[in-house]
Amino acid sequence: MQTVSSLLDSAWHERYRRISRLNIRSSIYDVTNRCNLRCKGCFFFSSGEHEAAADEEDIRQWESFIDREKARGVNMAILIGGEPTLFLDRVEAFYRRLPTYCATNGLIRVSRDRFPGMLVGISLWGDEDDEKALRGRDVFSVSRKNYEGDDHTYYLYTITPKQIGRTEKIIRKIADAGLKVHMQLLTNDEQVEGFHWTPEALRDVRAEMDAMLESYPRTVISCRYYHEIICTGMMMGRPFGWNECPSVTETMDDRDPRPKRLIRFIRWAADLKTTHRCCTSATRDCSICKDGAAHMSWVMVNKREHMRTTGDLQNWIEVYEMFAKLYGFIPW
Amino acid sequence: MSEEKGIEQHILRIAQIVIDELRLEDVTKETFDPDLDLVDELGIDSMDLATVALVLQDEYGVSIDEDDYPKLKTLRLIAEYIRTRLQEKAA
Repeated sequence: MQTVSSLLDSAWHERYRRISRLNIRSSIYDVTNRCNLRCKGCFFFSSGEHEAAADEEDIRQWESFIDREKARGVNMAILIGGEPTLFLDRVEAFYRRLPTYCATNGLIRVSRDRFPGMLVGISLWGDEDDEKALRGRDVFSVSRKNYEGDDHTYYLYTITPKQIGRTEKIIRKIADAGLKVHMQLLTNDEQVEGFHWTPEALRDVRAEMDAMLESYPRTVISCRYYHEIICTGMMMGRPFGWNECPSVTETMDDRDPRPKRLIRFIRWAADLKTTHRCCTSATRDCSICKDGAAHMSWVMVNKREHMRTTGDLQNWIEVYEMFAKLYGFIPW
Repeated sequence: MSEEKGIEQHILRIAQIVIDELRLEDVTKETFDPDLDLVDELGIDSMDLATVALVLQDEYGVSIDEDDYPKLKTLRLIAEYIRTRLQEKAA
């Protein structure tokens, strides 16, 4: 029987122990349906999820809802939207009660006096030209100025096929701003011309992601196995898709057989009653989904499948550590 | 039946359940070390424990609170936990 100590030396075993007891129980919350941008390729708007339920506007309802979530066992609140920073009272209600990660486009600076330790993930869709094409303006310049040098902020850089060969310019700017970056790939939900992935482009972007990790190890929060998984869509010979995805709302998960999944995971709409099917949109073709967190979680929930060889288990540890860093469970 | 023998029988039964439910290879209920740390050494996670707990609940007719999972680190500790729950139920 394969055991952890038969596969790992003492240093790796210590890394394994550090993460194996974290017991992360995350859920995702749409803080609002409103946004100060309208980006092509944003699943929230392209799928109509912003019209699924009206915002709950009573802050006391938010507070009691979060208390119930905490009692349900959630120990990590992931705030998305819409743009969460448009309603900082709601963000604060989470932050006062739970470890909280706030996704934002970075146009509004979150005050560190009010939210000293909250992790902030700024969405980034490419260089200035891509941002203008997909988001209508150069958001990167504004967000970089707003968060320069912030220890609890990183960029969530969604790489598009047009970015191949051009990512280093972006990564260097992020490094120069004293920030971190994590990379994922665009899922072209709105079928924007020129932003489709081809097998060749996926091969090239994987090599480029590896190169960025190699060249900027203090800036890029990632690992090579994650690059392999997200670029190939394969893990242990199995393709990613609806039958494998771990990030499905638990109360809506009628898959049989049920795959390994995130325990207690729910994605809540902003009315605090409606739930969404998964961490992205229900209209997305799961077989081409490139959501980074879903792919990371896919690896994480399949731990024992990675206990075949030393290399497999080390890969699993690196992905888990990456996730734990990105959501504040362990330091950078 | 002595208390020690009772625990050993529970351990063997629980070992078989863990092997069956988690499809473990290269181990039998007789060779399964009852003191092996299931998380640190076998890589079992909370979803695996939930799967095993469901079967144990049916088998022994006791409830296993998810908050107690961190205590269930080895086959022996699971067996002792179940024995305690059975005693509480009988009292």
